[in-house]
Amino acid sequence: MKPASFEYVRPASLADALEALHQHGDDAKVLAGGQSLVPMMNFRLARPAVLVDLNALPELAYIRAAGDGLTLGAMTRQRQIEKSPVVRERSPLLAEATPLIGHLPIRTRGTIGGSLVHADPAAEYPVVMVALEAEFTVARKEGTRRVAAADFFQTYLSTAIAADEILTDVHVPGLPPGAGSAFLEISRRHGDFALVAAAAAVEVDPSGRIVSSRIALGGVGPTPVRARPAETMLAGQQPTPALLRAAAATVMDQTDPPDDIHASAEYRREMSAVFTRRALTAALAKLDIRV
Amino acid sequence: MKIDGSHDVPAPRQKVWEAFLDPEVLRQAIPGCEKLEAIGNDEYKATMKVGVGAVKGTFEGKVSILDKQPPDSYRLAVEGTGGPGFVRGNTLITLSDIPGGTRVTYAADVQVGGLIAGVGQRMLGGVSKMMADKFFSRMGELLQETA
Repeated sequence: MKPASFEYVRPASLADALEALHQHGDDAKVLAGGQSLVPMMNFRLARPAVLVDLNALPELAYIRAAGDGLTLGAMTRQRQIEKSPVVRERSPLLAEATPLIGHLPIRTRGTIGGSLVHADPAAEYPVVMVALEAEFTVARKEGTRRVAAADFFQTYLSTAIAADEILTDVHVPGLPPGAGSAFLEISRRHGDFALVAAAAAVEVDPSGRIVSSRIALGGVGPTPVRARPAETMLAGQQPTPALLRAAAATVMDQTDPPDDIHASAEYRREMSAVFTRRALTAALAKLDIRV
Repeated sequence: MKIDGSHDVPAPRQKVWEAFLDPEVLRQAIPGCEKLEAIGNDEYKATMKVGVGAVKGTFEGKVSILDKQPPDSYRLAVEGTGGPGFVRGNTLITLSDIPGGTRVTYAADVQVGGLIAGVGQRMLGGVSKMMADKFFSRMGELLQETA
């Protein structure tokens, strides 16, 4: 199908883009990579009156080292992130999650900002950002504000971003030295949205004890879920298979997965524990700790 | 698709019963409901604008109130069609006394078809549940305002 008719604006500056959104408000949609919005428009599920295209704003596409982490422009293509040595070095978790997004042509167009603002409950980046406690810079005509990833994702396809705001920068903190991370997901076919996705980062002291961990899950509810009870159970402990299994089992109480033709809610809940355990095991394996 | 749940409303049962049958209160509480016009005895014509993220659609349909057992239970039947597809739902709403108010229990059987069901299948259950939660918490608020 073809989209319903719409007005197309291609601003040459962020200020012009914000002005356009300020004018059109709820009737406008921001076009980033278009990998979700354009299909929705073609199905006519989305019928924005005005499309504000950010693709003429190269200043929003960059990857920079910042502090012990990274700052990425919202228009950075997923494929650039996938290929970036800086990302691999400074945020291995982000690097590991990226090739799991859709397929190569999708990542070539799709942007990090687009994926975050679209906020699909099973998408990879929202899970990574919640696990890494990332922060987002959000701009509007009157100024900018910073929003923590934990406050950003509100429900299905809905974020803290208002109709006249644009996500401009993504700040991804680094992990402490002595931390390992892993991102795993299960899907029926390669490139599908995950039935369940799990991100884990584990910091271990020289004696091999877990200092702290961060665990986030996708696909099991309206937004990414941070598995705090599991993190608490792991803190200060020597990793053993029994400990990882027990900690992973706690996520089942935190999840409210959907039930659909792809998998039952029960299966997804079960997999949320299995993939938490596997992600923890894989994160520790990066530190040469075999559990 | 079955959706069920319950909400506690801090108002006496008779008052809750009346509110849940009052078209003006219902209009304010049904998410995205723009119009609710009486077309017969306990039958209403409804226009709803429903959206999640960029996905938005207007549904036109009919809401009927059936099997009234005051002040215990009734059935709310909804059918609507719009650009993104169609929705048909039958909900049994049951009221019971709890300390300090009324528990409203709902058990809905919802069918969603058309484009939205094919494309949005993954999120349909969750979004429907979210809409139901919105409706009941808004009903609670409205009842408190008039208390």
